[in-house]
Amino acid sequence: MPTLTIDNRPVTVPDGTKVITAAEQLGIMIPRFCYHPALGSVGACRVCAVGFKEGPIKGVEMSCMVDAQEGMVVATDDPDAVDLRKHVIELLMLHHPHDCPVCDEGGHCLLQDMTISGGHGRRRYAGAKRTHLDQDLGPLVQHEMNRCIQCYRCSRFYQQFCGYRDLGVTGIGTRVYFGRSEPGTLESPFSGNLTDICPTGVYTDKPSRFYGRRWDYERAPSVCIHCSLGCSLTVSARYRKAVRHEARFNAQVNGHFICDRGRYAYAYASQPERPRDALIAGRPATLAQAATQMSERLAAIEKGTGPDGIALMGSARSSLETQALLARLHSEKGWRTPCFSADDAATRVVSSALNTLNATNTIALTEIEGADTVLLVGADPIGEAPMLALALRQAQRDGSRIITVDPRPVTLPCAHDHIAVSGDDLATAVAHLIIGALEPSREIALDADQQDRFKTLKQETRDIPAAAELRAIGHALTTAWRPAFVCGTTVPDPDVPPLMGLLQALVQTSCMWSGLFFPLPGANTFGAHCLGGSDALFEPLLAAVEAGQVKALVVVENDLFSEYPDQQRLAAALESLELLVVMDCVPSAITARADIFLPTQTIYEAGGHYLNNEGRLQVATPVIAGGLSIMDTGGGNHPPREFREDIPGGTPRPAWQYVAGLATGETDPPDVKPLLDEALTAGVADGERVSLPSASREWPSIERIGAGPEGDAGGLTLIESAATFGSEPLAAFSTVLAELTPLFGVTVHSETAQRLGWRAGDRIVIPDSAPALEVVVTLDDRAAPGVLLVPRRIGIDRTALRRYMAHLLAE
Amino acid sequence: MLRPRGAFFERTIEPLELHVSEALIEKLKNEIAAVEHPRELAVDVMMALQDHHGYLSDAARDQAAELLGMSALEVDELATFYTFIFREPVGRYVIHVCDSLICWMAGEENIVDHLRQQLQIDFGQTTADGLFTLLPVCCIGYCDRAPAILVNRRVHGPLTNSRLDELLQKYRAEAAEKPGSNV
Repeated sequence: MPTLTIDNRPVTVPDGTKVITAAEQLGIMIPRFCYHPALGSVGACRVCAVGFKEGPIKGVEMSCMVDAQEGMVVATDDPDAVDLRKHVIELLMLHHPHDCPVCDEGGHCLLQDMTISGGHGRRRYAGAKRTHLDQDLGPLVQHEMNRCIQCYRCSRFYQQFCGYRDLGVTGIGTRVYFGRSEPGTLESPFSGNLTDICPTGVYTDKPSRFYGRRWDYERAPSVCIHCSLGCSLTVSARYRKAVRHEARFNAQVNGHFICDRGRYAYAYASQPERPRDALIAGRPATLAQAATQMSERLAAIEKGTGPDGIALMGSARSSLETQALLARLHSEKGWRTPCFSADDAATRVVSSALNTLNATNTIALTEIEGADTVLLVGADPIGEAPMLALALRQAQRDGSRIITVDPRPVTLPCAHDHIAVSGDDLATAVAHLIIGALEPSREIALDADQQDRFKTLKQETRDIPAAAELRAIGHALTTAWRPAFVCGTTVPDPDVPPLMGLLQALVQTSCMWSGLFFPLPGANTFGAHCLGGSDALFEPLLAAVEAGQVKALVVVENDLFSEYPDQQRLAAALESLELLVVMDCVPSAITARADIFLPTQTIYEAGGHYLNNEGRLQVATPVIAGGLSIMDTGGGNHPPREFREDIPGGTPRPAWQYVAGLATGETDPPDVKPLLDEALTAGVADGERVSLPSASREWPSIERIGAGPEGDAGGLTLIESAATFGSEPLAAFSTVLAELTPLFGVTVHSETAQRLGWRAGDRIVIPDSAPALEVVVTLDDRAAPGVLLVPRRIGIDRTALRRYMAHLLAE
Repeated sequence: MLRPRGAFFERTIEPLELHVSEALIEKLKNEIAAVEHPRELAVDVMMALQDHHGYLSDAARDQAAELLGMSALEVDELATFYTFIFREPVGRYVIHVCDSLICWMAGEENIVDHLRQQLQIDFGQTTADGLFTLLPVCCIGYCDRAPAILVNRRVHGPLTNSRLDELLQKYRAEAAEKPGSNV
């Protein structure tokens, strides 16, 4: 822990800290272009020069290349260093175009700031500048190579940090060019970060191009709700339109970056189709009319059927406020327990997964970067939680071994061992891992009771093709120092997460550190679980609707049709209701069927609290007052000269307010913390992780592990799982992301394809599908044989797809 | 790295098609298999394919990428870094003029002016008859023969204008004798 002096102020930093980082701790921002905390030092741009006055190093040196050492005295305002920086900036500016007025980076450009602060206010160079041709890099990132100052941040980020190989640096000398081999859409699902890390305007945000300057935007800290990781965002909005998500540094969750799904998902909030008015039987009404009618009709139904005749449906994308008020509505009125997902299979896994987590075994996303072995079972990071893939990449770069056990051909931007295991065998696979960890091991001691249980486990665990390999990995886990255990919650069955918990608990005894990480299906699935939602399943609710026990259904921010697979059955059940109330901020199949519709605010307007997949309580601040954008009302010209007291299209209210109106009538946002306190054991604070009641460390039931898959062992199974683009209900409205969404396809092992008579590239037209659905066949021998893998896709006819696949499975 | 002149000078270039012999591909595959990191041989593979085609066409780059297990961009990153790998078609005789210190002191500028005048091209250009491409190169280590140039990687120097004329004449005659240009 050396202590050094920077600009006459002492600072003590850990060994190995660079001087540039040490200065940051004093609030001194030494100029930099190539240095980035996530990418490290390369000493290429020469602009972070400082003067070393006393100590082991003397003279002008690059502060990003020098480790802080005891007794150093550093002056950032050393005349030689200041002079050097000034000239370096002048050099970098030689070829930089004077196009700041038409450059989107202008206003938040590091080069602009450095040029001014470095004292190079006027150009002396009057010669010709080198120019480059720009490339079309796809719908997300705008390329403008002439502005480049060769800091190499983009190629280092793209290739080294993210592990993608289609953008880099070509040429030499003044011909140095950052781009692709050929123009074309960037392959990395993290490409949007280029716009954040480029210190000037070579890469700028394409969808929001020419929309405003940094200072024009209303900006507020927010949380990404497009997967369960809950990355920190800064949202920019202008003219009542959220138009940009930027990564906001969060040391525990996302670090410096976010994925493209999160970055470009905002379009749903300002789409022209967004429902902004209350509707009664499909006709526009005022909010008051709709709300009154809702209360009256619900009261009337309650009178007839009792409180059991009214059911509540929430969602994993609602804020904790909304979820909490739904829970309160249930407790105050006695209406049915709110259900937060129509996907019962996932709800069961989530429930068993979150009951496995406790205060000591949960780890944060960035902690995975420090693991030396990461075991993923039934988890596909790139599809389900993209930033997890980036964390795995960092672990792997540091020498970590990554192992995926999955029926899907999981791809990661880093080297990993993949073991294909069919979905039904995942629990058995983890059992083999446990056996491998315990069998010849001297590291893990078992007591007599555990010995017995282990014996039973060994006897009852079926043999599967990958058993030997899995046992070897299980054994290797006992020699790891820092193993992390990741388990998905959509593909595995509910037995898997507790088994992973057991494996982690056993391995914990032989290592320094270990933990569990469970990506969840939705942004606030954890919240729904905390508020008691995991017990209420959708299937019984639907049955009660069909049986006529439930006469009214209140659906809050959930398009049941995209979650529930049998769309026809769902439609018939909804048809039989006396009253269907829908509250949402996006148009959907269920919105159109509502008897009463209430428009809700988005996260940009209402803000709210969210619990991410590890239970971290995070806050989204409201960014804008809701309403139609004047970019739209004006149609490109001056907005209508019409005087009114309200904002056009500003009707929507936060969903919790409508729910509160039914329960207690309160109008202030509820304080979620006491509500959470009731549900949880420990207190909660913003940014901190909530603690679930400590889970038992019992050995889970192993009856099913021995049972083997239901039905024919050689049968086929259909797996629908999240893809990077097209699966998340809100991001699916983004037109730029739609461009990146691949054709809908089914992936199978070549053996399976042979059985079905499919060839790669075949197009299968799904009969009786509306809208007509075509499925492209892809072969991948890394998939488990017998698995038909399709992405979850919003807006496709899943009923027809499943019918067709079921017919295949039956044959 | 000086290599014997390849047979490509006598062959017509068809940039869009690959007529690389099976034997060459097999040889490259074996060489790649023998090293720990295929990347080590990136330059050798690019050179081999370039010797075959006269330049590293897009198709040749893609083939190099496939052989080496690299992305097209990763091959391009290397290809565009090196002076002796050409990503565009070049003339039958590639003239590299050394523009480093010793040659400059010994009159490199005169050599360049004379070549420009005689060939009616500037750096980076190829003569209309497809015979000569003129390129600058940094120090080639023939300071003892300054001012020096390379023609198809063979060194010539010390040079005067008259010696240059003889040299150009010699190559023109050779080309006339053995036709088969690569334009």
